[in-house]
Amino acid sequence: MIAITDTSFLIDWVKYTKRDLIFKLFELIYIPESVFNEVRSETTLLWIAEGLENNKMAIFPEISELRNEALRLVLETRRLPIRSVDFPEAYCVVVGKVQNYVVLTENGGALALVNYYDEYKEVKVMRALEVLIELYKRGFIQEIKGEVKDYSRQTNHLFSNRDLRKYGLI
Amino acid sequence: MEEWIERFEEARELRRKYADWNFIKSQPVRLRIALDYYIETGDLYNASRLAGMTMEEFNELRIKARIPSI
Repeated sequence: MIAITDTSFLIDWVKYTKRDLIFKLFELIYIPESVFNEVRSETTLLWIAEGLENNKMAIFPEISELRNEALRLVLETRRLPIRSVDFPEAYCVVVGKVQNYVVLTENGGALALVNYYDEYKEVKVMRALEVLIELYKRGFIQEIKGEVKDYSRQTNHLFSNRDLRKYGLI
Repeated sequence: MEEWIERFEEARELRRKYADWNFIKSQPVRLRIALDYYIETGDLYNASRLAGMTMEEFNELRIKARIPSI
């Protein structure tokens, strides 16, 4: 599988001590240029540099047709009563659809978009919670409840009770 | 749609609940407004723009303010 990540996923995931496990699921993770420009910390830059060096990560260029479609989504979602998407995550969702890549995001707007827009329903979106569960299913994580707690502690990312219940974690 | 409205409301309540309001109130106006905006919306991209930071820089500020990302 190939994935494309937005900033919200990347900057949390990089704080996780077992962050390299993600490459057990994805042979390649693309980082759009717009996401790359949001990164400043040494830890994140080093992880990306290592990923680029090992061909586990690559920078995804900004392509004008995809950019235009992402801008359309930004406008469209502003007409709805729930959270809209902004350009960086909209671009990831568009790339995910066109290239059939998994979209890695923690952005609620992006997640909602693929749930209520018929033309984007086929796009597979994963948050850290789904990535951790998939790693557990494949045997790379031994104990899922503890791992989810560790992830939350290390990244200061809280999973909602609704989502934890959905996966039988509470 | 109803479910998504509830999800966003639930996330907002958690951000409000865990935020370190003393820290937030002690920040310069621009950062305070950006942190408030983030608590209300969970929108990292625009919050970082309000703060005049990159998203990763703002994320570090969010952690200092004890606001969970959800």
